Amino acid sequence: MDDDASNPLRRVSSRTRKVASKMVAALASTDNRTQAALARLEALENDNAGIETVEPNDEDDDSLDEDDQVYMQKKQSKSMKRKTRQAKALEARKAPKTFLELLHEANLESLPSHVPSYLKASVGPPISTSRRHFCTVCGSAAKYTCVRCGIRFCSCRCQNIHNDTRCLKFVA
Amino acid sequence: MQQNVVVLDNGGGLIKAGLGGDRDPSTIIPNCLYRPLSSKKWLHPSPSSDPIDLTSAAVRRPIDRGYLINPDLQRDIWAHVFSSILHTHHVGPAHSALLLTEPLFALPSVQRATDELVFEDFNFAALYVADSPSLTHLYEASRRPTGLISRAQCSLVVDCGFSFTHAAPVFQNFTLNYAAKRIDLGGKALTNYLKELVSYRSVNVMDETFLMDDVKEKLCFVSMDVTRDLRIAKKSGKENLLRCTYVLPDGVAHTKGFVKDADEAQRYTALDEGDDQSQKPGTSMDWDQAHVTEKIEERKKTDLTKNEFDLTNERFLVPEMIFHPADLGMNQAGLAECIVRAVSSCHPHLQPLLYQSIVLTGGSTLFPRFTQRLERELRPLVPDDFQVKITSQEDPILGVWRGGSLLASSPDFEGMCVTKAEYEELGSARCRRRFFH
Repeated sequence: MDDDASNPLRRVSSRTRKVASKMVAALASTDNRTQAALARLEALENDNAGIETVEPNDEDDDSLDEDDQVYMQKKQSKSMKRKTRQAKALEARKAPKTFLELLHEANLESLPSHVPSYLKASVGPPISTSRRHFCTVCGSAAKYTCVRCGIRFCSCRCQNIHNDTRCLKFVA
Repeated sequence: MQQNVVVLDNGGGLIKAGLGGDRDPSTIIPNCLYRPLSSKKWLHPSPSSDPIDLTSAAVRRPIDRGYLINPDLQRDIWAHVFSSILHTHHVGPAHSALLLTEPLFALPSVQRATDELVFEDFNFAALYVADSPSLTHLYEASRRPTGLISRAQCSLVVDCGFSFTHAAPVFQNFTLNYAAKRIDLGGKALTNYLKELVSYRSVNVMDETFLMDDVKEKLCFVSMDVTRDLRIAKKSGKENLLRCTYVLPDGVAHTKGFVKDADEAQRYTALDEGDDQSQKPGTSMDWDQAHVTEKIEERKKTDLTKNEFDLTNERFLVPEMIFHPADLGMNQAGLAECIVRAVSSCHPHLQPLLYQSIVLTGGSTLFPRFTQRLERELRPLVPDDFQVKITSQEDPILGVWRGGSLLASSPDFEGMCVTKAEYEELGSARCRRRFFH
């Protein structure tokens, strides 16, 4: 697209123009799919499903009296302006690190190979069984794969539901 | 000097706390703070006072993937717990010792944060850090003094808890950490998975952590034959022995959700292995036609205004993930293979003994038929001349705490602790060496 914009005289068929950007995305799609799968696994460890973020000092606001509100509003607008760099840095420091960050910091890869550690304790990939696929719509055994996003479904009916609801949400 | 010992099993899901020597912990509360819609503040869960409406409550947990990541939050929760335990006994932490459970392979930074919390924030006089497999082993060994576990002094503890699942061999009360294996799946991931399935298929329950925990505990079970159960789950009408309805709370008549028909929920137990009455050819067709009218009635029964949802194959596909994490897209082996790998990293002389003394603990082993399924999966993977014997604890949630209570009341306990003076002298890392893990 950028290419087209920079040089409008270049002659390309309309189809190429339409498809080109999608092709790029499609080429990267296997990566996108694994990333989507990882994100999904990550989501299984979330406490709150929403965008709930850590609010370190929300309790301060609650202790206010109703009478003071007008005054506080003035004061707040003042403090809000000030709350730029310093406050943000403070909040960032206050937010606890996630376990993965701590794990990264511990640098367990550098330990000698005979020392048992968190990383080595993980069971490896399965040997005796392989992955079974269940229909993401209804849960029964899935025979088919969505050509666009790689998600599984079991029947035409489920495919339609899938196309209407979830499809392509993971890609791009 | 006889001092109080506070035993604290600091799980990711539930805190179990009480005094050493007791049979049961005096406090069992969720290890989290929550904020219901009706409140602006984060509240402590309290079992005694009137139940708060937990609909769409947000949750904050100090523990992520099993390990303590937010010591400030944990301090709040512990202060709340200790005040309720210790207040009744009129002793402060300064005159008591603490027996604390910590997951295997805790990172040094996590250990340091824990030590700071115990000695600097709460001023405990002494600390002993134990891991859950050895405490489970201790409890099981003392419960049956003539059993194999106590005679051989070894067992394989499978701890399937809230954050993850460990299979760890224990030998003479020490966990063999070089052989312990972990699957990154526990009750929390299962609840979230169930949430995801139900939200996509019927009602959006992504915010209802507590509700879905309840659904999981009441309705999920482990399937003995997944393909057969999937077939049954597809059927309609009365033939579908697995479908059951859960009623969501309406906030007026009932603030808690419940299973609509408890008998209906138990019908799956009739699916005996081997005898597949529903599979007789011919009958199923007749059934379908005969029950078309009934099907319509059924439809009417589950109208959307009443806020309920049906579960069918979700009931067994959710716990199934512990046996086959690969189905979720995780690159990890299932529980049976996990056990085999843990055992085979031990000395060959120990292996037959370990297979005969598998102990299941942790809340996620409470799914009905968990033990039978595990046995069925494990048998083909274990050499023929070894016996497989799986014991499930009478109360898998409290098993670890009871082991801790036993240990705390043993005469050697005081000598095993690290005292506050030693901590101040040596620091966290060197004190930790005493616990051998």
